[in-house]
Amino acid sequence: MGYFEGFRITFKEMFKPRVTTSYPEELRPKPERAHGRHVLNRHEDGMEKCIGCELCAGVCPARCIYVRGADNPTDAPISPGERYGFVYEINYLRCIHCDLCVEACPTEAITESKLFEFSFTNRADAIYTKRELLVGDDGRPQRLPWELWSDDDEANTSAWVRATASSGRADYEGRVGWSAELGYGIRAPEVGQAGEDAVATADDRHGHGDDVGHGHGGGH
Amino acid sequence: MGRLNAGNVALAHEIIGRYPRTKSALIPLLHLAQEQDGWVSDEAMVHIAELLDLTPSEVLGTCSFYEMFKREPVGRYLVNVCTSIACMLGGGDELLEHCEKSLGLTPGATTADGLFTLNEVECIAACTEAPCLQVNYRYFHRITNEEVDALFADLRAGGRSGEIPPHGTLTRVRQQVDPQRWDGRGGEGLPEERS
Amino acid sequence: MTDIAENGTEAVRGVAVTLNGRVIDAQPGELVINAAERAGVYIPRFCHHPRMQPVGMCRMCIVEIDTGRGPALLPSCMIPVAEGMVVETESPVTRKAQDGVLEFLLVNHPLDCPVCDKGGECPLQDQTVAFGPGESRFVEEKRHHEKPIAISDVVQLDRERCILCDRCTRFAKTVAGDPLISFVNRGNETEVNTFPDHPFASYFSGNTVQICPVGALTATPYRFKARPWDLDQVESTCTSCSVGCRVAVESSSNQLVRYLGVDVDAVNWGWLCDKGRFDFEAVNSENRLARPLARQGDDLVEVSWSDALTKAASALGGAKERHGSSSIAVVGGARLTNEEAYAWSKLARSVLGTDSVDAQMGDGLPSDVVLGLPRATIDETCAAGTVVLLGPDLKEELPILYLRLRDAVVNHGLNVIEISASQTSMTRYAAVSLRYRPGEAAVLVQELFEHAGDVDVQADLGRARALLEANNVVCVLGRPSVAERADSVVQAALRLRSRVPGMRFLSALRRANIHGALDMGLSPGMLPGRVSLEEGREVFTEAWGQLPGSVGLDTAGVLRAAAEGRIQALILVGADPLADFPDRDLARRGVAGAGFVLAVDCFATDSVRQADVVLPAVSYAEKAGTTTNIEGRVSRLHQKVTAPGTTRPDWMIACDLAERLGGDLGFETAEAIWDEIERLAPAHSGLTAQRLASSEGLEGIVAAGPSSILETTMDVTATATLPVDGYSLRLVSTRKLYDNGTLVQQSPSLAPLAPGEVVRANPADLDRLGVASNDRVRVASSRGAVVAPVEADAAVARGTVLLAFNQSGSGAADLIDVSLPVTEVRVETVGIGDREVSG
Repeated sequence: MGYFEGFRITFKEMFKPRVTTSYPEELRPKPERAHGRHVLNRHEDGMEKCIGCELCAGVCPARCIYVRGADNPTDAPISPGERYGFVYEINYLRCIHCDLCVEACPTEAITESKLFEFSFTNRADAIYTKRELLVGDDGRPQRLPWELWSDDDEANTSAWVRATASSGRADYEGRVGWSAELGYGIRAPEVGQAGEDAVATADDRHGHGDDVGHGHGGGH
Repeated sequence: MGRLNAGNVALAHEIIGRYPRTKSALIPLLHLAQEQDGWVSDEAMVHIAELLDLTPSEVLGTCSFYEMFKREPVGRYLVNVCTSIACMLGGGDELLEHCEKSLGLTPGATTADGLFTLNEVECIAACTEAPCLQVNYRYFHRITNEEVDALFADLRAGGRSGEIPPHGTLTRVRQQVDPQRWDGRGGEGLPEERS
Repeated sequence: MTDIAENGTEAVRGVAVTLNGRVIDAQPGELVINAAERAGVYIPRFCHHPRMQPVGMCRMCIVEIDTGRGPALLPSCMIPVAEGMVVETESPVTRKAQDGVLEFLLVNHPLDCPVCDKGGECPLQDQTVAFGPGESRFVEEKRHHEKPIAISDVVQLDRERCILCDRCTRFAKTVAGDPLISFVNRGNETEVNTFPDHPFASYFSGNTVQICPVGALTATPYRFKARPWDLDQVESTCTSCSVGCRVAVESSSNQLVRYLGVDVDAVNWGWLCDKGRFDFEAVNSENRLARPLARQGDDLVEVSWSDALTKAASALGGAKERHGSSSIAVVGGARLTNEEAYAWSKLARSVLGTDSVDAQMGDGLPSDVVLGLPRATIDETCAAGTVVLLGPDLKEELPILYLRLRDAVVNHGLNVIEISASQTSMTRYAAVSLRYRPGEAAVLVQELFEHAGDVDVQADLGRARALLEANNVVCVLGRPSVAERADSVVQAALRLRSRVPGMRFLSALRRANIHGALDMGLSPGMLPGRVSLEEGREVFTEAWGQLPGSVGLDTAGVLRAAAEGRIQALILVGADPLADFPDRDLARRGVAGAGFVLAVDCFATDSVRQADVVLPAVSYAEKAGTTTNIEGRVSRLHQKVTAPGTTRPDWMIACDLAERLGGDLGFETAEAIWDEIERLAPAHSGLTAQRLASSEGLEGIVAAGPSSILETTMDVTATATLPVDGYSLRLVSTRKLYDNGTLVQQSPSLAPLAPGEVVRANPADLDRLGVASNDRVRVASSRGAVVAPVEADAAVARGTVLLAFNQSGSGAADLIDVSLPVTEVRVETVGIGDREVSG
C-alpha cells in the first residue's frame, strides 16, 4: 500500500466532475439576485424613471452616489413629473453593492445587474455617470467595452416589491409593480410571495387612463 | 362692464360712510358690482379693493367664498334647480332633465343668447314644495314641466319683468338712509383702522 | 395659585395644570400647547406658529382637555391654561383624534415626497410618522391642481400639497402687512392663491416658504438644488443690510443653496427679507473676482498676488514718500467684518499714516452723530413711548426693522411720528406724518416747537408735540434722501434732542457692517471703540506706533481732493463710488483724478474697472468674524464655503500690504484681531471672544460704548429756509430694496425685481407742467439730465419729484451735486408714451 495510499485522494478526485472553469473564456452562471453594476431604468415609453430625489444618495452607506435634480423641461420632459435626475454618478471604487439604493428608490429607477466583471485603470473611469448607467431604448443595459457581460447578468437580478403608487393613482396601491428585470420584462411572483396578488403586466401598468386589469404577466 | 360706473362709485362712497371700518363695506360693494354687471368681474374687484384700501386678493378671498357672487358672466336669468333629497323624491331630477332639454343646456352653462344659465343646486329650503326651482332666487314651487316651459317662454318674450328682475338686482327701489339716522351711532369711539 | 400641588412633583407658582398625570407650572395666559412644550411634551401642530396669533385651523393639536366640565377634545393652540385643568396628550382618545386628523390631512396630499423640496424636513412627514395612523382608507382620486404655479418671482405654490393651515396667508396679512395671498373658494375647493395678475410681490415672501409646514410653498432659487440630508448648516448673521438678522447658512457640495431665518428675540424673530434670503446667489456668482488684476495699458490682466501686492505697495509707498501721507485715502469698508475693518483702520493710520478713511459713501450721516448720540436697541424702540422716524423708507432699506416697528404699531399701539419728504411705507402706520420740503427738515422741527408753520399742518404739529411729551422717546435716524445734504437732517435730530429730554436714537444707516466699520474707526477723526482721534491718541499711539497728526477727509472730501489732483493713491475697499456716491460727476472726476487706484473687491464694479491694481477679496459666508448692527450689537459670522480662486480675507490683504510697506500689523488670525479690539477699543472692552461664542452671544451682544463724542459744534439754532424756485421741483432720491447694486444684480433671482428707473411726481405738479403720466420726461439739474418715464403719484408731496437711487439707467446720481443743500430739477416732456418727440 504505502505508496498508492498517498494517491488515494488524487485518484478519487480524478473521476469526479471538474469544478474549475477556464475563466474568463467560460463564465459560470451567477446566483439569483447577485449584486453587481447598477443600471438606471426607463419607462416603456422611453422616459427615465429617475426623478433625482437623492434618496439613494442619502441612504448609501459608502457615500458613493452623487445625484442632482433639476426642473424637468415641460416641452421635452426627461422623466414624468416635475423633476428629473440631472446628474447621476456612482463611484465604483467605493460602492459595496449593498443594494440599499435599490430599496430606497421610490420609482424603481435604480436596480442592479449581476455584472461585476469590470475594471478601470484610473479613478475617473471608476465613476459611472448617467450616460453609462442608463439602459438603452430597449430597456437593456448598455454593454460597455470594458465590461464582461454574459446574458445571465441581466436575468433574475432582484426580487419584487409592492408598488407604492408612484404614479399617484390609487389603483396601483398594494399591487405588484416592479418589473424585476432591468427595466424590461416582468417576472412572475415567486413561491410564497404572490398570495392572491396579481402581477400587473407591462401593458396594463402603462395603460392610459384605463382601469388596471388583473392579468398575470410572465417574463417577456 | 368691469369697474363701477360713476353713479355706483358715488353710491359706494355713501355705503362706505355707513361703517366705522371701511372694510365692512366689502360685501355690500360686491353686491353693487354684481348688480351693475350681473356678475363680479376681476376689474370690479380691483376697483372695490381701491375703494376700500384692501388688496384685490382680500376682495377675491371674500368674493369667492360666497357661491352667490358669480365670478363668470351668467345669463340674465339664473335658473337653479334643486336636486337635494326632498326634491329628488318629488321629481327634482326629472325637473332638471326637463330644464336641460328645454334650454338645451347642461348644468353650469349659459345659452348663446345670454338669457339663461342653468344650475343644479343643493337644498334651497323649500322642501315642502318639492320639486322647486329658482329664477334669480325667486321661487317656483311644485312646478310642472308645462309650467317650466311657460315660464321660460314668458322670460324669452321679455315678460314677467315685474316679478323677476335681471340677475344681480338687489332692489329696484333704492332707499336712501338719512345720514342722521346712522351718523354718530356706528363709528364713534371705535379705534381707527390701522392694519 | 398653589404652593405645593397635592400629587405634584414641583412647587407651582403660576397656574397648576395636570399634564399627562403630572402637575406642571404654567404661566397665566399661556396656551396649553406652549405650556406643554415648556414641560417637555410636544403636541403636534401645523398652523400654530410662535410668532403669530393662533387660529386653530389645522386641528392637529387637539388633545383631551378637562376644564372641569369633563374631558373634551380641544385645540391646544387656542386654549389658555386654567387652574386645575387636566390635559391628556397621550390618551387613546387623543391618539385616535390625531390619527384621524392626519389621515384627513393626507386625503388630498399627494405622496410626491421624493420630488418635493420639503421632503426630509417636512413637518407633515415627520408628524405622520410620529402621530399618524400609518395607513389610509382613502382609495379615491386625489384633488388635482396645476403643479407649481409661480405666485411671485421667488415663490412657487403647489396647491395639491397645501393643507390650508393659514400660516402663509396669516403671515402675509398680519406680519408682513402685504395681504396679497388669500384663501380662494370654499369647502373642498379652498386653495391659497393670489389675485390674477397681482403676484405675491412682498419683500418678505420668502418667509412663507420657511414657515410652510408642507411643500406647498417652495423657493424658486432653492428649487431642486439639494435635499435636506445633504445640506450643511452654520449659524451666522446676515449682512445684506445693517439690521443684523440671524440666519442659518446652508450649503451643499460647497455651494450656498439656502438661508433660513433664525428666531432671536432681540432682532429678527425668525424673519428675513427676500433680499437677505436670496442674495447668496451673488456669492456663488460666476462673475466673482478670483485672481488679482493689474493694469497693463487699457486692460486689467491677471497677475500673481506677489506681483499685485508689490505693485500696490510701491505705488502707496511712493505716494507717501513724495506727496506725504495725506495724499493717500481709503474709501469704503462697510462690507468688512469688524476685524477686517480694524485691520484696515490700523493699516491706514499706522502704516500709511493717513486719517482720510471713510466707510460711508456720502450717503450716510456724520460719524460723530451716529456714534455719539445716546442709543436705543430695536426692542427699546419698539417699546418706546413715541418713535420719531427721521430717515429713509425703512421697508426699502431695513426691511426687518420695518417689520418690528409695524408689529409694535399694530399689535402694541406704538405711536410713530414720521418726518419725511414724501410718503413712505410707514406712513399708514404713523400716528402723525409730517412732510418737510426737501433740504428743510430742520425748519420743520423748528416750526414744530415754535408753533410756526402753515395753518393746515397746525393740527398735525400739535398732535406730534403732544406725542413728544411721552416718556421714553426714540428717534430712528437715517438719511431720508441722498438728494439733500445731511446737515439739515442732523440739525433736525439735534434740535429734537435738545427739546425732548432723554431722547435716544437708533441708527438707520443701511450698509452691511457700516456700524462696525465706524466703530473700528473707518471714519475721519475716529479711532476704534467710538473715540475721537484726539481722545484716543495716547492709547493708540502706544499700541500702534504712530497716528496721523490731523483729522482727514471724508469720502466727499477725498473725491474732491482727488479731482483736484491732491490724492496720489486712492484705495477702494469694497467701495464703488461711481455707483454709490450720490454725486456721480464728482465720483467720476475723483476716481479719474487719483494718481493710483487700488481696489479690494469681490466683483468688477464700475469703479473697480478704473483701478490700477485689483485685489480679490472673500465674500460673506466665506469668512468668519463679527459684525455690528444698527444697535451696536456685535454678533458672529461663520464661514460656510470655500472662497473661489485665490481670494483672501480683507484683513489678510491689509496685513500683506503692511508687510510690503515695511510695517507689521501683528495679526496672524482674525481672532487675534478681535483680542486686540477687545483690549484697546473702549466701547468693546469686555466683549471677549469667549462671551461672543457663549450662549449669551447667540443673539449678539450690544457694545454699550461711551457716548461722549458728540459735543458737536453744530449750530442747533440756525435754520436754513432755502429759497424756492417756482420753476423747479426738489429732488428726493431714496433707495429701493432691489436696485442696481452688486448683490442684487449678481443674484439671478433678484436682479429682475429691480423696478427700474421711474420719475414720480404729484399729479398737480404734472398738470402744471403740462406733463402726462407715462410720458418720457427729461429731468435736469445744474449737474446733468436724466430721461425716464414719469408716473403721477399722489403720494409724492407737491413741489418734489421722486427718483430712486441706483436703478438701471443713468440715475439720480447724475443729477445730484453734493455741494448744494438740495437738488433742484426741472421736468419737461420729451416723449409721449413710448414715442420720442423729435426736435
